[in-house]
Amino acid sequence: MSHDVDMRVRIGSLELRNPVMTASGTFGSGREYADFVDLALLGAVVTKGVGLEPWPGNPAPRIAETDSGMLNSIGLQNPGVEAFCAADLAWLRTQDVPVVVNVIGHTVAEYAAVAARLSREDGVDALEVNISCPNVDEGGMAFGTSCAAAAEVTRAVREVTTLPVIVKLSPNVGEIAPIARAVTDEGADAVSLINTLLGMAIDTRTFRTVLARGVGGLSGPAIKPVALRMVWEVASAVAVPIIGMGGIMTGEDAAEFMLAGASAVAVGTANFVDPTATTKVADGLRRFCAERGIAAVRELTGAART
Amino acid sequence: MSCAQDMTPRRCLERVSLMANERVAEGVGLAVFAAPGVARDIRSGQFVHLRIAEGASFILRRPFSVHRAAGDRIEVLYQVLGVGTRALSLAERGAEMDLIGPLGTGWSIPEGVAHALLVCGGLGAAPLGMLAEELAGRGVAVSVAQGAPTAERLVARELFSAAARRHEIATDDGSAGQRGFVTLRSEALMDADAPDVVYTCGPEPMQRIVAAQAARRGIACQVSLERLMACGVGACLSCVVSTVHGQRRACVDGPVFDAAEILWDRDESPEHEG
Ligand SMILES: Cc1cc2nc3c(=O)[nH]c(=O)nc-3n(C[C@H](O)[C@H](O)[C@H](O)COP(=O)(O)OP(=O)(O)OC[C@H]3O[C@@H](n4cnc5c(N)ncnc54)[C@H](O)[C@@H]3O)c2cc1C
Ligand SMILES: Cc1cc2nc3c(=O)[nH]c(=O)nc-3n(C[C@H](O)[C@H](O)[C@H](O)COP(=O)(O)O)c2cc1C
Ligand code: FES
Repeated sequence: MSHDVDMRVRIGSLELRNPVMTASGTFGSGREYADFVDLALLGAVVTKGVGLEPWPGNPAPRIAETDSGMLNSIGLQNPGVEAFCAADLAWLRTQDVPVVVNVIGHTVAEYAAVAARLSREDGVDALEVNISCPNVDEGGMAFGTSCAAAAEVTRAVREVTTLPVIVKLSPNVGEIAPIARAVTDEGADAVSLINTLLGMAIDTRTFRTVLARGVGGLSGPAIKPVALRMVWEVASAVAVPIIGMGGIMTGEDAAEFMLAGASAVAVGTANFVDPTATTKVADGLRRFCAERGIAAVRELTGAART
Repeated sequence: MSCAQDMTPRRCLERVSLMANERVAEGVGLAVFAAPGVARDIRSGQFVHLRIAEGASFILRRPFSVHRAAGDRIEVLYQVLGVGTRALSLAERGAEMDLIGPLGTGWSIPEGVAHALLVCGGLGAAPLGMLAEELAGRGVAVSVAQGAPTAERLVARELFSAAARRHEIATDDGSAGQRGFVTLRSEALMDADAPDVVYTCGPEPMQRIVAAQAARRGIACQVSLERLMACGVGACLSCVVSTVHGQRRACVDGPVFDAAEILWDRDESPEHEG
């Protein structure tokens, strides 16, 4: 059995050691997991969403466990881009891992301002433009559910940065392929999907919604089939690389996403189950290839047939 | 499994096995785990994030305070509430699980403390066990005010009786100690003993009253707050507590906080029934 599987993949101009990244909002800025994971073994660290000014987030309770998944309504709490650069990014720069910063905004101008600010910093390797957070009233998903708005945000960010731009798509749409086309037409170098699916839970004892906000985003194994289907659809609609995510718990799950058309994957909720999930997924993916005599992991991308 | 061997205590993921698991009060179990890494590094008031079972219905770990640590073992005192704690109550000796720990910021013992008052309601006794023993071991005079709905639901009675010079009990139905809320006993003990510091854990409304009683007397007070937790390591922002310094994470900045910093009423906390 060969062990020297070539695990390198490319996302636009960004070269990754392996396809396994962290999913935004589930891994802090990487530091929180550094006791458990050697970050140098990851494809990239994707940070939590960063806005222009501090965002307070939503009231608690902000999470609920559901069958094979969880709901969250964190609401993009973050300290703002200046504090992020001073603390989180300063630390990340000392680490041997590519850094993707997840960018959020209430308005198109805010997205562009954050992107411009981050583009002046050392140590940012790519931007992931989050137009898909279901947990805020203003901005967030509102930009990800219409082709025109998605295109406008992408254009505004594209104009202010030369960094690779990844646009993170919402699954809360009737058709995802047209949105993917709209953002790639505006120069997105890659798309990532899926963000969480809108959902809710009700406490039958109190007749109240479990989340203080009422609704939240569903993640975890429960959403994997939906996520795979969307990666599959987007893969046939656009030519840019896809970062696939949604319920990845094992190397085999990651392989499924790549077979559906993803060039890289991200691990989210699984980090909460097992803080070493990211490296286990990477090891599992390598083993998956080795056992099948696949020389380079990128051969998996889009190899699934009906 | 991946505990560092160096001197700085780090959080680790540790495979643990259940050495004993028995019912110790109505609806309450005591689980003893062989967990050498965590047992070595844990400080009083810190917690572990336990993966009780694997499989689709257990996505999230469950946070539990470490009640006592001795040798390579830790004890967890748990109330049977929902799917996770029910599964824990059915687990048998020899069962393997994994946990992350030690997590969070625990109790702090200020320099020169001569007299400490511990106030607990229900399972709030859990994180105060190690503290009571540690204080007593350092020669600090310990008083305990303990409340529960009924005598059958009082936990860790022997531990507190052994560690404390005074151990006063209040139950809702009067089946042990004074009838009524533990806050009657805590107030009386603050006046009788003039403690240097008050430590409290239990239902949040109770902690809030205890904090106010201490504040009125100018006594420092530490509270231990519960929040729903996903990651347990500071990454997900599920567990925020509103404080005068802004939002803090119960899993890393807490669960123990200086009571004077808490903005009560801002967040909804999960509460144990009864
Ligand atoms: C820092 C900390 C220390 C704790 N220490 C103890 C302890 O020593 N002994 C003890 O009995 N309990 C303790 N708890 C509460 C304990 O975590 C919950 O009772 C337990 O998670 C309930 O799980 P379940 O599956 O039985 O309940 P379910 O209601 O089925 O759980 C559903 C979800 O809600 C969460 N949840 C429910 N109640 C609570 C709660 N009160 N606090 C936090 N999460 C909750 C669960 O973790 C799970 O994610 C502590 C909580 C925290 C935050
Ligand atoms: C607690 C939590 C916080 C999240 N925060 C963000 C965020 O800040 N920005 C973002 O683009 N996605 C965020 N997400 C979505 C994840 O990055 C990911 O798209 C989604 O959870 C699906 O992957 P998973 O099933 O592996 O978790 C968050 C998800 C969770 C569970
Ligand atoms: S539980 Fe994730 S930040 Fe506290």
